[in-house]
Amino acid sequence: MAVEVSLKRPPVSTVSPARRQEAVQGYLLVLPIIVLFVCLIFYPFFSAIWLSMTDKTIGTTGDFVGFANYRWLLRWPDFELMLLNTWTIAFVGVAIKFVVGMAMALLLNVEFRGRMIMRGLFMLPWAVPTFVATLTWRWLYDYQNGVINTIATGTGLSDTRVSFLGNPDFALIAVIILVVWKGFPFFGISYLAGMQGIPREMYEAAEVDGANAWARFFYITLPSLRHVIMITCLLSLIWTSNTFEMVYLLTGGGPSNRTQVFTLMTYKLGIENMRIGEASAVPMMFFPLLAGLIVIVSRYMMKED
Amino acid sequence: MPAFWTDNYPLQYVVRRTLFFVALALFAFWVFFPFYWMVATSLRPDAELYTRNVTLLPQSFTLQHYETELVRYQFGIRLRNSLFVASSTTLLTLIVSSLGAFSITRLRYPGRAALARSILFVYLIPGSLLFIPLYIIVYTVGLANTLISLIITYLTFSIPFCTWMLMGYFKAIPPDMEEAGMIDGCTRLQTFYKILLPLALPGLVAAGIFSFTLAWNEFLYALVFITSSQLQTVPVGLASHIVADIYMWGPLMAGSTMAAVPVIILYILAQGALVQGLFAGSVRG
Repeated sequence: MAVEVSLKRPPVSTVSPARRQEAVQGYLLVLPIIVLFVCLIFYPFFSAIWLSMTDKTIGTTGDFVGFANYRWLLRWPDFELMLLNTWTIAFVGVAIKFVVGMAMALLLNVEFRGRMIMRGLFMLPWAVPTFVATLTWRWLYDYQNGVINTIATGTGLSDTRVSFLGNPDFALIAVIILVVWKGFPFFGISYLAGMQGIPREMYEAAEVDGANAWARFFYITLPSLRHVIMITCLLSLIWTSNTFEMVYLLTGGGPSNRTQVFTLMTYKLGIENMRIGEASAVPMMFFPLLAGLIVIVSRYMMKED
Repeated sequence: MPAFWTDNYPLQYVVRRTLFFVALALFAFWVFFPFYWMVATSLRPDAELYTRNVTLLPQSFTLQHYETELVRYQFGIRLRNSLFVASSTTLLTLIVSSLGAFSITRLRYPGRAALARSILFVYLIPGSLLFIPLYIIVYTVGLANTLISLIITYLTFSIPFCTWMLMGYFKAIPPDMEEAGMIDGCTRLQTFYKILLPLALPGLVAAGIFSFTLAWNEFLYALVFITSSQLQTVPVGLASHIVADIYMWGPLMAGSTMAAVPVIILYILAQGALVQGLFAGSVRG
């Protein structure tokens, strides 16, 4: 996290006035970004570490309590369930998004009339605001009047209506379906862009050598997309493990914490119950892993230099 | 569709082509049905929505839900708040990001590589990680329950993202013209706004569109920082119907449609630019 930007001037004797002027201008132009990062990223980050070790609530300053908040969280009966839900949504969600996104790329890489229009249209779930997607899916899942229930009972697929979001076995699956629907186009469009760069001759040569479609996919397409696949999956893992509004608006973490995730728990503790100390400790427990992911994916994204 | 059932098209090809279109149709159904249902719901009277046997095709149309959303739920006020926040965020982001990206890609000084890396790091930090300390800061400086608090905090994700994106665009433009400009007597800042910016206009437009949609779509900070319903943005205002009304789905879907349309139009205009900007040249076959 600690990124040092040296503001020290280089020794005057070795630097020409023009170079020094260039450096001064350079710093002045990025100054707003540095101020923003210091005030609204680094300071809040370190203050969160401090807050997580106090018993601060809204309206009180709070005293230092050491690791009491962390111990309290670890003893919370549904803490493990919350961890499991968060990482299930993230890993299963990303795995399915990868498969569905790849399917989208393969289908839309085939020549057919209207292909370009379809490419644009398949981006829609990603383009639409998350809250719109979530509210729409909540209505699709609805127990009384939801269209999924109507189709399922109407076609005889199910005898009775199912309370998808109230059912402890299905609620998490319902969240993951939404996560996949919303996120797969990002994977698909990235892979399509990557496929455009694979030379045709590679496929033609493979075909001459008798490689079938599967072999061509596994030995040419997948290896060529290695770099893009890593970036999309890692980026999505960071974003998906931090899902908030989909869970908040779809299930609210219920039924009985079966879809509870760490962002929602932070919100409930900190904003609804005003227990800032405990609320600050929750994301801190996830930070080391997220920081690791951020470092890895940033390496991949900077590789072109 | 071409008539492929001819002697030129052997049976195997026809079978494969048919399977392909079946797969595409099923996929498309899953992708597009929710949109259809959102728009259809917003246009049907309540009597058609709250029945055990919902028909897939609307039997009658009404604009009543749009009226309810606009008049009773005061969608207009939320729209105004959202527009103000999103356009202010966009304007500030474009100024700060383009100057920053210019500085990092065109000027030489110690620490600029570290700066470039930290911009990417900060962009990758999810907003849900810092909302508690940001809430405390906003509260302490007296900005709780103001739209300014949203604009300032939205900058924490729009600026790193747009600076990163613009750095990619600027790097792709050779500096020769700016160097020629400086020989002709331009100052460095003049080379920026007279030469570089016009050349990078498509990138600037894309960055503007994305910071606008980021701010337009944002939910968590708007939920946490704003307590008065008169200052709510569109996402939080719509979400509040869920507790307020049981028969809310008509107005809710009408509001969702109205909230989605501007963003969808913007995305269509800037299609592909995001992926390009995000990977900034790192996508190589």
